[in-house]
Amino acid sequence: MHAMIVTDNLGKQYQDLVALDGLSLQIPPGEIFGLLGPNGAGKTTCIKILTTLARPSRGTARIHDFDVVRQPLAVKKLIGVCPQEINLDRELTAYENLWIYGRLHRMPDLAARIAELLTFGNLEERAHSLVREFSGGMQRRLLILRALVSRPRVLFLDEPTVGLDPQVRRQLWNLIQELKLSGITIILTTHYIEEAEMLCDRVGILNRGRLIALDTPAALVAKVGGYVVETLNSGRRQYLLVRDKEEAYARAQTEPTGVIIRQVNLEDVFIQLTGERLTN
Amino acid sequence: MNWFPIFYRELLLFRRRLLRLGYVVSALFSPMLYLLAFGLGLGKRVAMSGGTYLDYLLPGLIAMTSMTNSYTWIATSMTVGRLHFRTFQVYIQAPVTAADIVVGQILAGMVRGLFASGILLGLGLFLSTGLHLNLMFFLVLVLNCLVFAAFGVIVGMKSRSHEDTATFTNFFIMPMAFFCGTFFPVDEMPWLLRDIIKALPLTHTNRLLRFPFWNLESLESLALLSAYGVVCLALGIIIIRRYSE
Repeated sequence: MHAMIVTDNLGKQYQDLVALDGLSLQIPPGEIFGLLGPNGAGKTTCIKILTTLARPSRGTARIHDFDVVRQPLAVKKLIGVCPQEINLDRELTAYENLWIYGRLHRMPDLAARIAELLTFGNLEERAHSLVREFSGGMQRRLLILRALVSRPRVLFLDEPTVGLDPQVRRQLWNLIQELKLSGITIILTTHYIEEAEMLCDRVGILNRGRLIALDTPAALVAKVGGYVVETLNSGRRQYLLVRDKEEAYARAQTEPTGVIIRQVNLEDVFIQLTGERLTN
Repeated sequence: MNWFPIFYRELLLFRRRLLRLGYVVSALFSPMLYLLAFGLGLGKRVAMSGGTYLDYLLPGLIAMTSMTNSYTWIATSMTVGRLHFRTFQVYIQAPVTAADIVVGQILAGMVRGLFASGILLGLGLFLSTGLHLNLMFFLVLVLNCLVFAAFGVIVGMKSRSHEDTATFTNFFIMPMAFFCGTFFPVDEMPWLLRDIIKALPLTHTNRLLRFPFWNLESLESLALLSAYGVVCLALGIIIIRRYSE
């Protein structure tokens, strides 16, 4: 299948800092692709380049065959962006925010589209309230709805649930899963393991600007083992990766202190690859 | 061209802020202060250019008000929108051109400049009979708003912090407000300073608002003001076209 997004040796350097280092990716249409990595790994830089906000220092990036540097207007017509920071106009209403965004994209039948989206996001009753009166979760939902006004072929969600409480986070996950059914391609950055595992068809793990792993969550996990035996020795937590549950039990019986046996997750993959934790 | 949503967004924000009394007061505070302190204080006691000082001062205050309001609105809105609220990034990621962004922003700045100077003009009609309100007067007022709104775009894009915007204001806008013939004639300045001042746009706006009549000198001033407008507009478009984070 023809890829919706292709990057080739994509790099971005800010003076001495290499923010993104030779990223090569192919993302097919309709996929939810996760970029997973700690803060400063290069996820947001990648999104900025793909959404034409930053120019790459080297390499190329194409969306639906349009080059992001040479054909930015064509790219912008295809994308919707939900940035990490809530950059809604707080002094305007939800409706006004969506209307202005729709007009920037020259959307026909804008009023009907806005009504449809407000219903989809469960915000129809707050359409004419000022955004500054919204809760954090409502603002995040409106931010995603705004990115959808133009019926984008590719949706960029940069840390869409950062700072939200677990209940609101789950509501947004449901919203994103509903979006997937419409066939839209979604690029999602996150440093939440559960989010990447639950939502993404494939995950690319970034560390210090480099792509260090790329596969489905299940395949990434399978590569490092099936189970983890966690022990606490002299106040230091240690992780032992084993193939199956039987081996985990056998290991646990040899430990003098209490142990935790659990299934491997993407954080363990990250630790295995880098020796560092993904989250603080 | 797709500048309308950018212009309309700024108008919506302007309308919301207009409803706050403090906003209107802050926009007109300085010119009103000068009008009361100098215009009414010295007023009819001092003669200037064949009329009262109030007659001399009023066109200058209208020019200054249109300059500061057009410039400040855009420079502040773009700096804060780009660096703090990151609302400017929405434009960059939308299918609009750099020219759309610049035109939308400048028109919004002009509305604010015309609004504030219009209030002062209305007040001036009660206080002075020295205003020559004709087509050229309004043309110059509109052009002055355009020049300084376009300059506001450049400052808004080049500022790396809110303090930077204040620095631009202190080095460019404030000296122009005081030295370009708002409060006293430029001809009374030392020759070196006078030549610099005569190259600045507000000097020509002041001259044209005081004597809005079609003659060679006026046409030269109009041409210079237009050139400033075109250069600032073009620079704004180039800066936004090259924008990269």
